[in-house]
Amino acid sequence: MEGELMEADIVVPSRLSFKKIQAYEKYPKGQSSSRRWKHLKQILQAENFQDLPPDLPTYVNIESPPSTQPCKRICDITGYEAPYVDPRTNLRYANAHVFKALRSLSSDQVHHYLSIRNAAVVLK
Amino acid sequence: MAFVSRIRRQTDYNTYPSSIPIVIDNGASYFRIGWAGETEPRVVFRNIVQRPRHKATGETVTIVGDLDPAMMKYFDCTRSGPRTPFDSNVVYQFEIMEYILDFAFDRLGANGSGIDHPILITECACNPVQSRSKMAELLFETYGVPAVAFGVDAAFSYKYNQLHGICKKDGIVLCPGFTTTHAIPFVDGEPIYKGSCRTNIGGYHVTDYLKQLLSLKYPFHSSRFTWEKAEDLKLEHCYIAPDYASEIRLFQEGTKEAEEKTRYWQLPWIPPPTEVLPSEEELARKAAIREKQGQRLRDMAEAKRLSKINEMDNQLTSLHFLLKQVDQVEEDDIPTFLSDTGYASRQELESTITKVTQSLRKARGEPKNEPAESEENTDSLNNEKYPLMNVPDDILTPEQLKDKRRQMFLKTTAEGRLRARQKRNEEELEKEKRNQLEEERRRENPESYLEEMQAQYKEVLERVEQKKRLKTNGSSNGNNKSGGVGRGERLSAAQRERMRLLTTAAFDRGKGEDTFGTKDEDWQLYKLMSKDNDDDDEQPDSDEAELARLSSRLQDIDPTFVQKVEGESSQTSGEVPRVRLLTEEDYKIVIGIERFRCPEILFHPNLIGIDQVGLDEMAGTSIRRLPHDEKEIEERLTSSILMTGGCSLLPGMKERLECGIRMIRPCGSPIDVVRAMDPVLDAWRGASAFAANLNFLGNAFTKTDYYEKGKTKINLENCHFITGINYNGLSVKQLQELRGILRENTNTKLLVAKNTLVYKALEGTKWESLKPCMKGMNAWLFVQSEDIPAALKTFINFQKEKKLYDNNLGGAVFEEKLYAPQDYKVIETMPSRADVYGMMLGSLHWPALDLVNALQAPTATENETVVA
Repeated sequence: MEGELMEADIVVPSRLSFKKIQAYEKYPKGQSSSRRWKHLKQILQAENFQDLPPDLPTYVNIESPPSTQPCKRICDITGYEAPYVDPRTNLRYANAHVFKALRSLSSDQVHHYLSIRNAAVVLK
Repeated sequence: MAFVSRIRRQTDYNTYPSSIPIVIDNGASYFRIGWAGETEPRVVFRNIVQRPRHKATGETVTIVGDLDPAMMKYFDCTRSGPRTPFDSNVVYQFEIMEYILDFAFDRLGANGSGIDHPILITECACNPVQSRSKMAELLFETYGVPAVAFGVDAAFSYKYNQLHGICKKDGIVLCPGFTTTHAIPFVDGEPIYKGSCRTNIGGYHVTDYLKQLLSLKYPFHSSRFTWEKAEDLKLEHCYIAPDYASEIRLFQEGTKEAEEKTRYWQLPWIPPPTEVLPSEEELARKAAIREKQGQRLRDMAEAKRLSKINEMDNQLTSLHFLLKQVDQVEEDDIPTFLSDTGYASRQELESTITKVTQSLRKARGEPKNEPAESEENTDSLNNEKYPLMNVPDDILTPEQLKDKRRQMFLKTTAEGRLRARQKRNEEELEKEKRNQLEEERRRENPESYLEEMQAQYKEVLERVEQKKRLKTNGSSNGNNKSGGVGRGERLSAAQRERMRLLTTAAFDRGKGEDTFGTKDEDWQLYKLMSKDNDDDDEQPDSDEAELARLSSRLQDIDPTFVQKVEGESSQTSGEVPRVRLLTEEDYKIVIGIERFRCPEILFHPNLIGIDQVGLDEMAGTSIRRLPHDEKEIEERLTSSILMTGGCSLLPGMKERLECGIRMIRPCGSPIDVVRAMDPVLDAWRGASAFAANLNFLGNAFTKTDYYEKGKTKINLENCHFITGINYNGLSVKQLQELRGILRENTNTKLLVAKNTLVYKALEGTKWESLKPCMKGMNAWLFVQSEDIPAALKTFINFQKEKKLYDNNLGGAVFEEKLYAPQDYKVIETMPSRADVYGMMLGSLHWPALDLVNALQAPTATENETVVA
């Protein structure tokens, strides 16, 4: 390795004296590591929360409920309050000026705007 | 700045005795590690790992935290980006976690064989047991730590601030973190997780929102808005609006205040190289070269022409000579005389001479023999030119008839040409007159004339565009709901009409009597259907000509006039047209509304499609969830609301929170929101203070605990019923089969373990009374569903099937009591699950609950000791 790199000391050494098992022994090269770990969804499914008494706090049931306040609608493009929805693109908009701009957007941009607020329809 | 990495290697690791715990705040954004009892963490870095390939050696290396851009050149980062061990706020990738811990311990200065210090590590509230046990496994087995305790960061932060008198013993901590926001109520200095709530939104989402909005607003520069840059912009410029609606109105109306609040970020802009005018000398030199080349070409052409003329002269003289000779020769001998020269007759020779003379004249540049005036005195010439015109057909020979027809044709074309020329002249005159008229008007009143022109131009432009739209779009009303470009929009009106005709024709066939073709108009249909039809409207129409005239006129008289590029009018004026060169203005990033629009999602998660309560409402939810009777406790809670976590650094947070919480609380209730002393580091400091307490080890989960009952303890979790089986003569195969059946049918685990080990695990729990059964060969059934009879039945059926009468059930425990086999025959023979629920519901629940509490003890009780 280059001298500068050694000096900067940014690379984690592969062998560390304080470890009982080294990482390269545990995770040999060539094995895909991303598959091995359960994602949060799978972890939660495996936890069997439904078998626990309902009043016990768990990761799932401490989740917040939906808001009771009226849903705020803001213009997807400008952030102004948006009284209108474009039926063609489903984007919210504030006024005629924005509407004009909105109609000139490419379908990619429209999709991007929608996906920001999780409203994009993803065809599978 | 609150977020600063500190990654210098520490040297004093060995001066700390092994009793001093190491404290880790394992946050989703930053990782902090240090020694218990100290006020500052020793090592702080971003909780990410990159595993790029080293360019020189090709090996994969591990780099934790931010990679110094100066070192970037040594690595090939194209294959893997930065990775985090977190999914939301839960650690799930323990390989990544291991690299991070490696780096952290290494930087802390560890160099012995193992980490011989107890460890306190933070985790999210109500961390799933799987994640926690994996973390324990990693710490115990890989690093050999003696003890591990877990705690919740927000709770530590609250306790730390309570210790310093910032908040009271009853209160709520609101912690907008990196990926999630928590609200946890405290009663008597103890966190009540029952009353906590979590919204899945945090600083990460704010930054991401900012990044997305900016890259949509400035598509040219989207590559500049990296996540790190957006994070910087957020930290520097974002604030929380006291009231979003009124703040946005300021910007919408374009007030001065809004202007002051707008920030600009000028990207480095290099003006495109301006065309440097070439110097006089250069110009002269170039002109000279061009002139020289032109001269040479001209010379060559001249030489060619001269040689041609010469040649033709020669030919002419020889022809004249020949003609003279022919004149001398006798009439009869002419053909024989001429046969050598290739001419058939004297006439032919003469015509050749005239032809050559003509071309010679042309070559010499002399005017044509018959100038245009011939057409002016047409009438007089007509009779000469077309001698057969007025002769009746009957007296003409067939040959003459042919000639007459030819003459007629020539005459009509000549007349047509003449008419066209006249018309052109007239038009020109007209145009001239109009121009003069306009010029006069312009001179009279230039301004109103210009205005008029412009209005006219606009009108015509509109008309032309309307026509164009109609052509491409049919009906130009945009009520096509399909969005985007449908089949209908791709075809022009004419094409669509053709499609319609074709389809009707296709469907009409065979319906009723076929009368097609009886009328002549029917056949017109095919003309309409044919493809050639489309080109009809391609010709420029009068409007377009008018438009061209107007625009050229406007260009003449108005220097500011810019002709609209085709199709541009449909584009917005705000958007930068592609054709225009980018100016400095385009490289200026305006950050106005985004400054408060992005953090607003903390209060209104539905803005980015997360349907959960916002930060202010979380306090109310938390109070509602907390089991309590008296009103007074609510007031005590709201009068001490602590905000901690990275996002509470945003300016305006305190005011907005107070305002928001006041809205959801009854009028007049006391509300006090305070910010933690250091929202980012207080969690670590609180944990450090807690770990420094002497009672700490009592709460920790030690290595002995882990090795002796660790695995079994994980089995105990969620368990409702344990029974022993005296197993004699069960073959391995049978055992496996039994395990499979039990797992499939009833979520029951069969464990074969040493009696002493099982007892160790059960010791001190409600299952302790199983002790008398710890004799002989035992297998243990852990029934993890409430359907106990089903599990027992499964086992008994298996027993009957395999005729294994030696393997009887031993004692079993539930409800803290030991049951002998004959006693719980009652349970076995119970009819169904529903009945079991009815009979035992109340009694079954509580041992399970207690067990979980025991497992979660390190979390739930950690803060008690601080108070004690």
